[in-house]
Amino acid sequence: MDEPRWVGARVCRIDAVDKVTGRLKFMSDLSFPGMLWGAVLRSAHPHALIKKIDTSKAEAIDGVVAVLTHKDVPGLNGFGIVIPDQPVLCFDKVRYMGDAVALVAATSKEKASEALRAIEVEYEPLPVVDDPEEAMLESSPRVHADGNIHHRIKVERGDVEAAFREAAVVVENTYYTPRQMHAFMETESGVATIDEDGNITVWCGSQHPFRDQLQIARALGMNPRKIQVVSTPTGGAFGGKDEITIQIYLALLALRTGRPVKIVLSREESVVAGMKRHPMKIRMKTAAAADGTLLANEVRVVADTGAYASLGGPVVNLAIEHSCGPYRMPNVRLEGFCVYTNNGLAGAFRGFGANQVIFALETQIDMIAERLGMDRLEFRRKNALRQGDVAALGHTMTASVGAVATLDAASRCEIWVRREELKARPSAPHKKRGVGIATELHGCGLGVGLPDYGAATIELLPDGRFAVGVSCPEIGQGNTTAFAQMAADSLGCSVEDIVMVSGDSRYTLDSGTSTASRSVYTGGNAIRCAAARMREAIADLAAEALGAAREEIAFGCGNVTVRSCPAGEATRSARRLSFREIACIAESKGRKLKAEGDFIWPVADRGVEGYFGLPHLIYSYITQVALVEVNTLTGEVEVLRVVSIPDPGKAINPVGIEAQSEGGVVMGMGYALMEDTVIEQGITKTPNFSTYIIPTSMDAPEIETMIVEELEPSGPFGAKGIGEAVCVPITPAITNAIHDATGIWITHIPATAERVYMALRKQAGEPAGA
Amino acid sequence: MREVGPGARTTISFKVNGGAVEVEVSAEDRLIDVLREGLRLTGTKEGCGIGECGACTVLLDGKPVNSCLVPALQVEGREVETVEGLAKDGRLHPLQEAFIEHTAVQCGFCTPGMLMAAAALLRENPDPTREDIARAISGNLCRCTGYHQIMSAIESAARRMRAQGPGASGAGTSEPPGAPVVSEASRREIHSRDSAD
Ligand code: FES
Ligand code: FES
Repeated sequence: MDEPRWVGARVCRIDAVDKVTGRLKFMSDLSFPGMLWGAVLRSAHPHALIKKIDTSKAEAIDGVVAVLTHKDVPGLNGFGIVIPDQPVLCFDKVRYMGDAVALVAATSKEKASEALRAIEVEYEPLPVVDDPEEAMLESSPRVHADGNIHHRIKVERGDVEAAFREAAVVVENTYYTPRQMHAFMETESGVATIDEDGNITVWCGSQHPFRDQLQIARALGMNPRKIQVVSTPTGGAFGGKDEITIQIYLALLALRTGRPVKIVLSREESVVAGMKRHPMKIRMKTAAAADGTLLANEVRVVADTGAYASLGGPVVNLAIEHSCGPYRMPNVRLEGFCVYTNNGLAGAFRGFGANQVIFALETQIDMIAERLGMDRLEFRRKNALRQGDVAALGHTMTASVGAVATLDAASRCEIWVRREELKARPSAPHKKRGVGIATELHGCGLGVGLPDYGAATIELLPDGRFAVGVSCPEIGQGNTTAFAQMAADSLGCSVEDIVMVSGDSRYTLDSGTSTASRSVYTGGNAIRCAAARMREAIADLAAEALGAAREEIAFGCGNVTVRSCPAGEATRSARRLSFREIACIAESKGRKLKAEGDFIWPVADRGVEGYFGLPHLIYSYITQVALVEVNTLTGEVEVLRVVSIPDPGKAINPVGIEAQSEGGVVMGMGYALMEDTVIEQGITKTPNFSTYIIPTSMDAPEIETMIVEELEPSGPFGAKGIGEAVCVPITPAITNAIHDATGIWITHIPATAERVYMALRKQAGEPAGA
Repeated sequence: MREVGPGARTTISFKVNGGAVEVEVSAEDRLIDVLREGLRLTGTKEGCGIGECGACTVLLDGKPVNSCLVPALQVEGREVETVEGLAKDGRLHPLQEAFIEHTAVQCGFCTPGMLMAAAALLRENPDPTREDIARAISGNLCRCTGYHQIMSAIESAARRMRAQGPGASGAGTSEPPGAPVVSEASRREIHSRDSAD
């Protein structure tokens, strides 16, 4: 294929015009004639038995069209990506404050709220299970009948005991990480409509329309083909809209009332009911030889998954996979527990288990380097995985490996090179500056043992443009623009001639999720396959029309020509057909030019017996460097500058990678310094942005993104993925910078001013509790 | 502000994006409800409902306000501007162009509020520093971008509007409506590649 014109260019987002004009209709903006407002009755207790539900008063309210309870769920009363343990509508007990007990549909929002208040539920409160480690004890009250340990993983390789005996340095610490909230700006919102034949369409932002379709169909006891799910556009997701949110409620209400029904969660309801990042307690013991060779890592992770499974098991599996980072680690004992509690709900969130363990590991790495008197970056580079190495879980790194390349780039970046100089000049005498570094690798795709595939459709439209369909939703990450670029180069046309169709179960083929740093790689490969077939179809038609041999047909930009035709020849124009002319010819012959392409992910050479979803074959890599300033009087930390060095494979749209990188840095900074969803006794104490604080424009550091492209031969144009890795190492880069500035180690994030202040006082030998 | 008892409905008239409108409202209605539901101007978004996220930012008599906190009755006789009014005569506002060119948009949910906050800033201060910009949009949360591309876009729009001179606070002239698909830097690059073959 010719040199790409669009891939690698800084292309403006194809959806930007509709977004800046306000024309784009988000799901919360949709409105249909006769539409009702739906609302969800959530639990009144974090843990309780349901004794009785009486809806009669609610039903009697004028303007209330339907009130539904568990008795009205026609199919399976449960959902969940791995196991359907979350009731659509609770029947015997409630397990968290976000549990749904009843649904209403009414002619106005006010009537719907009035109806919720009129539903009488009798509960018998149960003891609240809110400490995951206590929850693991046999004596603990049970959230689910079969025990509170939802999932357990254990992986061993080599001989950790021997390695600890022989090591020159062993560091062992316990780390605590917070319950970060996705804080997508659009709450869970949508509409369901139903036609005369009983076909349902659910318009609701999410990350996998086909799996939503399946889960809705299962709960409704309905043929999935009668259900269309539209998931694009989504006003932010970050993993928090991977699981079912309100789709089943919408479908149930539309089915019952025969009318369009809309639900928009308030921010408070979204915070209480929605997913969060798993809080983890991580015990980590890491050993190295005197020459700085890493020898062993022993890890024990306890993750609080809240009331239901969702993706808790896979998150813990990935925490285990990522717990040795991008390093050779010959001896490992890694154990993870995913535990039920009444603390809300935890599931998929950008980084998917890596954020927690990379924070722990990268702190350990700095501690060991310090003990050995080695340069932090050199120590990392020495142990970094190279292509062909065996990784901690025993699989061979055969795909592109960018660990060393991103570290090398970091060693040349300004804030690293001039770090001593920058540290020497704080903005005030009571402030101290430090520079921190951290790195990670991040699995792309779903890993060993899970079906991971993609599919794309391409259709030549009558005007000569192409409709390209990929189901992975546009959740803000910019995948539709990257798809359009890859399609344009694969077909030989301009990005302006591509019309993307995204996230719609009726008009696209199942291409899986927009998660796991997978959509560009998956969709791109499927598009390349479909485009090759489309070009064959075009060549066939052109050969026929031009009376030339099939092999003589050559592709230009937006057209085909007959190859043997000498340049400048008078008849040349008669020997050239634009795609638009091809479309006309096809139409005159009553033919539609359509092609489908598919793709199946390659996987690692070995799995981990007994578990699925790990390890991965392809990883993205990233090193991030942070310059911070710590106010020693208040404990406040300001992040001044960050250099972010991702290896996404080929950067399909470099400006899009920069966008991901910057957004990821600020999200990971929030995780390091300020964000935590506080839940006490099962009750959320931070239900809106007045108490759950995320970074603003005033907090955002200066960010420079340096893209390192380690091309992946199996990827489209050499691309891998990057959506998750960008928010991971920044967290320990910041906490390591706090150490560099002050000498204190942060093992409990977020490193709030209060925590840093206390640690500084402790370091100074003053009583911390004064 | 007109006095109306709870639940009772009354008609208010005000201007939206230059045009006069009359809507029936109740005392509980907020400006955002009137815009989104009454007038179907759904460009204005709701992210929190308590004045913390800025997604609902509109201009009231030229000043940025959180429309989720403004009682509808308060806008009687006043002038409201929303994102739908930024483009004029089919031409994008320089801020809109700059947001596109700088990839200041990801999911796009915060974008209308950001644009309105930025528009208010540039009217007050046509030559803001980076610091001024950060402060002006500090009440507008964005979870996708990290704010940099947004701030660069505002800077660049300010430059363009200054170059266009007074009266340019309205719509831009350099870009037709529709997508400038490639950013300036690569437009040149691609162009030179095109002419080479
Ligand atoms: S919706 Fe008005 S400030 Fe958030
Ligand atoms: S672009 Fe998604 S919140 Fe700003």
